[in-house]
Amino acid sequence: MKGFFLFLFSGVFFALLQSSVLPLFFPPDWRPNLILILILYLGLSENLPRALIAGLLLGAIQDSFCGPSLGLYVSVYLVIVLVTRVISEQLNVESPPLLLLLIAGGTLLQNLLVGFYLTVLAESAPVLHILLPALPKQLLINILFASVLLFLLLRFQRIFGYRPGLAGLVYQSKHHGS
Amino acid sequence: MRELLRRYQFLLLAIILLLATVILYSYNLRQKSATTFFERAVLTFAAPFQSGIDGMADSVSDVWGNYLWLVDAQQQNLALEQENLELRSKLQQTQEISLQNERLRKLLAFVDELDRPALPAQVIGEDASNWARTIVIDKGTLAGLSNGLPVVAAQGVVGRIIKVAPNSSRVLLITDASSAVATLIQRTRTRGVARGRGENLSIEYALRDADIQAGDLLVTSGMGGVFPKGLTVGLVDSVEKNQYGLFQQVRATTTIDFSHLEEVMVIVGEDR
Repeated sequence: MKGFFLFLFSGVFFALLQSSVLPLFFPPDWRPNLILILILYLGLSENLPRALIAGLLLGAIQDSFCGPSLGLYVSVYLVIVLVTRVISEQLNVESPPLLLLLIAGGTLLQNLLVGFYLTVLAESAPVLHILLPALPKQLLINILFASVLLFLLLRFQRIFGYRPGLAGLVYQSKHHGS
Repeated sequence: MRELLRRYQFLLLAIILLLATVILYSYNLRQKSATTFFERAVLTFAAPFQSGIDGMADSVSDVWGNYLWLVDAQQQNLALEQENLELRSKLQQTQEISLQNERLRKLLAFVDELDRPALPAQVIGEDASNWARTIVIDKGTLAGLSNGLPVVAAQGVVGRIIKVAPNSSRVLLITDASSAVATLIQRTRTRGVARGRGENLSIEYALRDADIQAGDLLVTSGMGGVFPKGLTVGLVDSVEKNQYGLFQQVRATTTIDFSHLEEVMVIVGEDR
């Protein structure tokens, strides 16, 4: 339960970062989606009910910090959590490079879903002119920030305590010889 | 039947949840003018943090501009440098106040010209996504703001309020893909609808035969019922006419640099 609230707290913190701090340093196309990274990590690390509830709540938080309508990111993150769960059962998610590859896949899927929802449901097709040119920059910056976050997570793992099944933490088990 | 449900429970759960979220999104799309309880709560919770972060960023920027680059010199002559630092800091503050004063004076002059009651507000946050173009301002329902009110700056139209909380509001910028503003080419009075494209605008429904040239000024037509007539929207950037088709392709750049927007005015009333 502590971990669940930590995910939610991190989500709110990331949303504040994305809306107030990152705009001071990065233009819109180069701003990382930290909540997406958190969602992917959540999908890989938590059990299904927790991942779904946290995913839906984080989606609602992101919706409240961006765009005009509540529900877009709720739906997008639900799909991403479900897809991540299906994939995580087939892959060795303890491998950090694979985790970064999943971040790239998640970024593509998120942009695809946002584009689809906004074009089909909101009839806001011009958004594709914004989403498509920004996609390579988004991929690059999300992978870069995910690498930094993963590095920090590995570095400060001792402080947070080790929990088996955490995605990307293969080095931890090596250190402890398990 | 129970066996079937058990076997496909993941798939069923996924489909039910997905349908529920799509319905939620579609419902909220229809309720554009309403701010949900959840959104109001998040905006209310976030506003003090965003104001604090905004203030902190200004302080850090001041310290960076006034102190850090003087560290070496300070080692050479600490006492003198300290005095220098304080003076510089005061000067910087005065300059900052003077710049803000100038910006506010321009805004006030603009509002006087506009001849409508308007409320000044500070920009305290931006959009948390890379595709939507919205900002958060530090005034809300307690200051008398409501959904749909137009937001302007001295250089022209900023956007309109789409979500309100007691002490903050979210403003949809004219560069957002879901924004459409009824406009006129000032020189020829040609009508068109300015749609956002992220960094610039595209003018839709401008008739093929209409005389539009690069550099023409684009102003609000007052037709949409949101913005008063005659406010500056942008400058025509390029005009393209295909061999066929009813309309021409017109691109325009906004007169406002949204990445450096700090103060805005919310137009709260009708003509005086």
